[in-house]
Amino acid sequence: MAIDRRMLTGVDWPLIGASLVLAVIGVAMIASATQTGRFAGVHVKQLIAIGLGLVALAGSLFVDYRRLADRAPVFFLAASAMLAYVLLLGPRIASTRRWLVLGPLQLQPSELAKVAAALLLAKVFSEARRESLGLSEILGPGAAILGLASLIAAGPDLGTAACLVPMFISVAFLAGMRIRTFFVLALALAVVGGLGWRFALREYQKTRVYSFLDPSLDPRGAGYQSIQSQIAVGSGGFSGKGYAQGTQSQLGYLPARHTDFIFSVLAEEMGFLGVLAALALYLFVLWRCLETAQLARDRIGAFLATGVAATLAFQVVYNVAMVAGLVPVKGLPLPFMSYGGSSMLASFLGVGLVVNVRMRRFVN
Amino acid sequence: LRIYEDMRGIQRRIGVLQALISLALAGLAGLFWHLQVVRGRHFRQLAESNRMRVVSITAPRGALLDRSGRNLVLNRPSFNIVFSPEQSEDPDRAIGRLAAVLRVGEAQIRERIARRPSRLRPVVVRTDVSLEDVAAVEARHLELPEAFVEIVPLRSYPLGASAAHSLGRVGEITERQLSLPEFEGIAVGSLVGQAGVEARYNARLMGQDGSRRVVVNSRGNEVAEAERISPQRGPDLTLTLDMDLQQAAERAFAGRSGCAIALDAGSGEILAMTSTPSFDPNEFTTGLDPELWAQLANDPATPFLNRVIQGQYAPGSLFKIVVGVAALEEGIATPSTTFFCPGYLSIYNTVFRCGKASGHGTVSLRRALAESCNVYFFQLGVRLEIERLSRWARRLGLGAATGVDLPHEASGLVPSSEWKLRTQKVPWYAGETVSVAIGQGQLTATPLQMARLAAFVANGGRLVQPHLVRAVGGTPLEWPPPTDVGVRAETIEALRAGLFAVVNEGGTGWRARIPGVELCGKTGSAQVVASARLQQAPGSFNLLPHGWFVGFASDERRSIALAVLVEHGGSGGEAAAPVARQILSHVFRGSVDASPRLPEADE
Repeated sequence: MAIDRRMLTGVDWPLIGASLVLAVIGVAMIASATQTGRFAGVHVKQLIAIGLGLVALAGSLFVDYRRLADRAPVFFLAASAMLAYVLLLGPRIASTRRWLVLGPLQLQPSELAKVAAALLLAKVFSEARRESLGLSEILGPGAAILGLASLIAAGPDLGTAACLVPMFISVAFLAGMRIRTFFVLALALAVVGGLGWRFALREYQKTRVYSFLDPSLDPRGAGYQSIQSQIAVGSGGFSGKGYAQGTQSQLGYLPARHTDFIFSVLAEEMGFLGVLAALALYLFVLWRCLETAQLARDRIGAFLATGVAATLAFQVVYNVAMVAGLVPVKGLPLPFMSYGGSSMLASFLGVGLVVNVRMRRFVN
Repeated sequence: LRIYEDMRGIQRRIGVLQALISLALAGLAGLFWHLQVVRGRHFRQLAESNRMRVVSITAPRGALLDRSGRNLVLNRPSFNIVFSPEQSEDPDRAIGRLAAVLRVGEAQIRERIARRPSRLRPVVVRTDVSLEDVAAVEARHLELPEAFVEIVPLRSYPLGASAAHSLGRVGEITERQLSLPEFEGIAVGSLVGQAGVEARYNARLMGQDGSRRVVVNSRGNEVAEAERISPQRGPDLTLTLDMDLQQAAERAFAGRSGCAIALDAGSGEILAMTSTPSFDPNEFTTGLDPELWAQLANDPATPFLNRVIQGQYAPGSLFKIVVGVAALEEGIATPSTTFFCPGYLSIYNTVFRCGKASGHGTVSLRRALAESCNVYFFQLGVRLEIERLSRWARRLGLGAATGVDLPHEASGLVPSSEWKLRTQKVPWYAGETVSVAIGQGQLTATPLQMARLAAFVANGGRLVQPHLVRAVGGTPLEWPPPTDVGVRAETIEALRAGLFAVVNEGGTGWRARIPGVELCGKTGSAQVVASARLQQAPGSFNLLPHGWFVGFASDERRSIALAVLVEHGGSGGEAAAPVARQILSHVFRGSVDASPRLPEADE
């Protein structure tokens, strides 16, 4: 196997450690948020997911990231196939088709699709060896990503689909995409978005946007989540209400509190201090990923680490902003902290790719 | 040799990304600082108002007791079925199940849910259910967690329709009441007094509601109690009513319509007060049934009318007491003054008839009262004239509300020339005075006013303040003492002698006589002017006059004055005197318990 002593010393332990700390904080907050009710005890499942994520991370390190990138089209097709299968034949869970059920395991292919997308983008853009990229070079990978995003969005899972956009833009930006091309792309996205709004968006998604624009329109409906989360966050104050003492989260005012709104629980119970600590950890993780991109010995490695970092960054920023009531509510988990095995697996796999790039920067 | 890729451009661009991400996270930190530290207090208040709710606890109403402490009105525990749709995952199915359990229509439950005042409070689906229904709901707690049983105190009137007019009834506060200052601070849906003592003493009976501050979860379910202010039960009211005498009065009225009132002649305490037809206040305690309400409110027999204080009748021959007092006090006559009665009086170009066509012959005041000779009082009336007559009527408490502690008391009417000119723009005719002298014409009075008139003679010339409540929460109420009208003792004596003769010396009231009891009284008939409403209701249309009897009796322990009015009963001697006798014989047993027999003709 392609691992030697030099590589082992090159493993980015601080990155893995910081991710793990975030995940453990997440478990603690999930345990607080689910003390009673039908989700009681799910933090144990989350611990198992962390374990599985670490195993997957470790396993992925044995294969050189370039070999993985070479297989990117295969992963990409496999992910697309899984998404298509789930969409057509998967079970309806909470009126969506997002889940692949394998015996006792439930998997969200959309999360794994993000990893496949990162690999594909790194591979494709690393092969375009020109100083600057025009529209023609962008079009191919752009179409592939758009296709994947559409499959995810049809779930419907708009949040996860949206994650692919910053990934694509960041990697293309690194690869030399011209600003003019960026604007053309933005325009195209706006057109697609407009058409999507008109034809593809479900009513509940539109309601979310409307109610975000004016939460008081419907304080008991879609605006409710936004308002209640903001109250939870604000009422936490500087030092928080104490672990398991948050009134908003403990009395059920906070919706989806152990999944998408876990950061709200943290903010309410641990206060600004807890928020600051978590944001610092995220900043460290993201900074470390981008540092790896800078240290990478080749374009594939740089693009891969950047793609992972961009997706993580987008998720963190959007989720935290959503919890604070700054942006509309979307079903977007917070990496490492939100309850959910697939998200956990994908996040650790992403970190694994970054570690993979970093540990192989000196060899062959 | 390995050719390393030129990564410098890429590294620069990564630096841009790093800067962007750092900026974004720093911005988020700033946003959280703003929310949590700068505006933290604001959001803490919002979180508090989210989780804290104030629930009011209704204070139990005070009970109503009779003069010896027996329960007239009390609270009994009752069971309501309540339902909270918010708590339900599937409200429609829960409503269906509940309807089946309670054997009511789903529409009825849905209507109640739609009508409820607050979304935060559970809906009362059915009130005062049977123990069977309680068991049915409790047994289905697992399938139907949204429905539960609530125990609430309910007003209970053990006497039923008896004394309903004095005790009154409770009902949900009306829109109109909500806007009145006396009901300030009372919530929508509260039960308040709607008639009788319940209404008059409502503020005190309601006590002080308590409240609980509770922690609620997002579904509105109570999780914990943070603070409790206990409600203060309203004080019990001790009424002046004597439950036994009250029931005796009800029995005496069985099958008749009319009213009776018995007063303590010395203090004005109301011992019994009955008005028939009546209603059962228990029918209103769980909320108004619109059908029942319409039926009672539109009943031509007016069951809601408290005839004792709201019925305004011509006093008829009872008014002769007033005329007698006026004539003696004004020096028009002395007890020994006589007039000759030929059976009529021809004056002012009109012939006024006496009750006895053949005439009473020469009569004094005593015989004139005993036999209710109209001509004698025509003569006094003509000499007194309307001004003095109406002044004396008012001095003896007619034409103005007595101020009894009940709502909506009528004042009756004492006509005068000034009054007639003001209201009808026509001068007074002297002939009208002749009618007024025997209590007819436009003169009206309430039975309560007539009972007070009897008490006036009984207690030696003082007007009492009639009242129903003796004490609130054990503390006696300060009622105004009887006022001395300023009538000479000889006048009272003369009247008393005449009224004694009415009952005991072959007078018109002989049917009221209880041998061995010193009962004085006066009979009367109130001519009926058929109202339009009565004429439209065939069957109840009746032109027989209302029969009156007022009287008083005393023993060493007490002195009781009473007034009895039997609607469409005919003459007072025939219709009302036996009722009065039946009521009074409950108190005054007398020496021989035999029916009175006297040969003479009626008034």
